[in-house]
Amino acid sequence: MAESTLTAEGSRRAQVPVGSRGRARGLSDRAVLLLFITPTLVLLLAINIFPLIWNIVLSFTNYRANQPGREIKWIGLRNYERLLGSEDIWGYLQVTAHFVCWSIFFQVLIGFSLAWLLNRQFRGHAFWTTVIVLPMMLSPAVVGTFWTYLFQPQSGIFNYIVNFFIDAGDFSMIGDVALAPWTIVIVDTWMWTPFVMLICLAGLRSIPEYIYEAAEVDGASPWRQFWTITVPMVLPFLMLAVLFRAIENFKMFDMVVELTSGGPGSTTELASINLKREAFESWKTGYSAAFATILFVTVFGAANIYVKFLNQVKKR
Amino acid sequence: MAEIRLERATKTFGQVHAVRELDLTIADGEFFVLLGPTGAGKTTTLRLVAGLEKLDGGRVHLGGRDVSALAPAARDVAFVFQQYALYPHYTVFDNLAFPLRSPLRRRSPQEVTRRVEEVAKLLRIESKLKNKATKLSGGEMQRVGIGRALVREPNCFLMDEPLSSLDAKLREDLRVELKHIQRDLGATILYVTHDQIEALTMADRIGVLEEGRLLQVGTPRDVYTRPASVSVARRLGSPAINLLRMDAVPGIAAPSRARNIGIRPEDVQLNGRGIEAEVEQVEHLGAESVVVLRAGEERMHALVSGGTSVQPGTAVRAELSREAMLFFDEAGQRVDA
Ligand SMILES: Nc1ncnc2c1ncn2[C@@H]1O[C@H](COP(=O)(O)OP(=O)(O)OP(=O)(O)O)[C@@H](O)[C@H]1O
Ligand SMILES: [Mg+2]
Repeated sequence: MAESTLTAEGSRRAQVPVGSRGRARGLSDRAVLLLFITPTLVLLLAINIFPLIWNIVLSFTNYRANQPGREIKWIGLRNYERLLGSEDIWGYLQVTAHFVCWSIFFQVLIGFSLAWLLNRQFRGHAFWTTVIVLPMMLSPAVVGTFWTYLFQPQSGIFNYIVNFFIDAGDFSMIGDVALAPWTIVIVDTWMWTPFVMLICLAGLRSIPEYIYEAAEVDGASPWRQFWTITVPMVLPFLMLAVLFRAIENFKMFDMVVELTSGGPGSTTELASINLKREAFESWKTGYSAAFATILFVTVFGAANIYVKFLNQVKKR
Repeated sequence: MAEIRLERATKTFGQVHAVRELDLTIADGEFFVLLGPTGAGKTTTLRLVAGLEKLDGGRVHLGGRDVSALAPAARDVAFVFQQYALYPHYTVFDNLAFPLRSPLRRRSPQEVTRRVEEVAKLLRIESKLKNKATKLSGGEMQRVGIGRALVREPNCFLMDEPLSSLDAKLREDLRVELKHIQRDLGATILYVTHDQIEALTMADRIGVLEEGRLLQVGTPRDVYTRPASVSVARRLGSPAINLLRMDAVPGIAAPSRARNIGIRPEDVQLNGRGIEAEVEQVEHLGAESVVVLRAGEERMHALVSGGTSVQPGTAVRAELSREAMLFFDEAGQRVDA
């Protein structure tokens, strides 16, 4: 923005010899500039900035969206006090953290390994890339739904395969309190590992072959080449993938709702699922607005710190 | 340091014969320059010696040992790449230190620092040691590439046009410097260049490569004054050698098979004797001038002193030194009288 303004200034100054005639004939550069960016600004204000501010305003009230006639009272920080004092909220945040951390851990591990294997350019690697990428192209709700069938204790293929290797008996990935948090991690990993893999693959492809050749001549073992060349040069790409996945999984909703609906109990009730319940089932609009604000500040703050860190890594 | 020996070394890429049955021995401590047009197979030859390319036939010996089956690391050669090939995420210091930190060459940190600083000083990049490798100019990158080879004590140095992106002054300095280093270390260097000045000034011996074959191997003097063929003769010397038909210079006692006369521009004198010619153009190069002449249908160059007063459009007489004349047969091979 600042830069384009500067250029506009500059070119207008360059036009000075043409004098007043140039300006009289049409719009000034600055006017043209405004004309072009105004629609975008208006849209941004209307569908992003205004709702955000409105949400923050509501979070200080006792507003309930299903009772429009009710008097709206200004209650200060009461919603926030209730939220932060509630043990349940910490539970939901813990569930979310468990889900975000472990799903990213597995996706990075498997995604990077797959990318590394595919980058060896063996025969048919293009075919396998396409096959591996398929899950990512499905709708999360569809994925959630069909995995409920795969996880069926009696007829599901997942239990069948597990029982083929170890005698686990009848168990329910979805119904079991201990297993359910891992179930959502497994499905999310299945679905989004390809995304991490693609980004890692792009990173690996960006490393020119002659750097490895130089390292080889310099006497670096494959192991040392991996740690001193491959990893540092893919790291910025990998960190970007982690950022995308973290933000996405922090607000994960559809797939988990289809898969477990937050159950059993509230073992897979992510913050976003709880938020939807409070807002549109219990209709505690003010309260859930406060919750949304807290989540927003958390993600926004964490992402900002992370991006700073990412830039540091890139500059290194 | 070690001797390099290639025995019938062959490398093909699909249809392209990059290197064909190359026989070449480079003595221990020798500075050998490979000269040739683009695509001649110079880089491929270096890569075969380094082990970065697998031989399709023949053998490579280093220091009397057959290394054909060894991996690059085990051959212990230093390579300066045409495209620098620096480690972009490292500083200049770490780039230079990388080979020394190899498990094959355990060095103490103090030793590494000392050696890196020594080499950096030599190449005049000591002020850049803390910079990231990507934040350098082309010439600086090239010097880091050379430095990365010099920090080691390898069997031999393989250098692929290491001075190509330096400015004229620095190139001249480094040329002298490299030659110095080579003498001090007694290093075996296989050096690729397009630049004939580099070839002539640095080489103990020159090899002229074309389409994967060695056309001639010899000392710079030898290759310059007694080129084996027209293509070799054209490769060295600036301006290039003049090639004239036999009948352009009447009354010359030439071998019967000769079809062309080759004469270097510096052996053409404008002293009022010899064949008649018209001056087409005069190019002043400072200490010397190049005079473009037309004699009948032939065009030739004469290299004269910078203070020449000949004017374009005037008629002159050009004397071709009989001793300096070279004769080439139909196939372009040199024939002796
Ligand atoms: N990896 C490769 N795959 C296919 N062809 C190759 C490969 N490397 C080299 N070639 C071919 O082999 C021939 C010799 O190439 P090389 O790189 O050795 O030439 P060069 O003498 O170094 O040329 P330049 O002076 O331009 O660097 C060229 O025709 C080139 O196209
Ligand atoms: Mg080359």
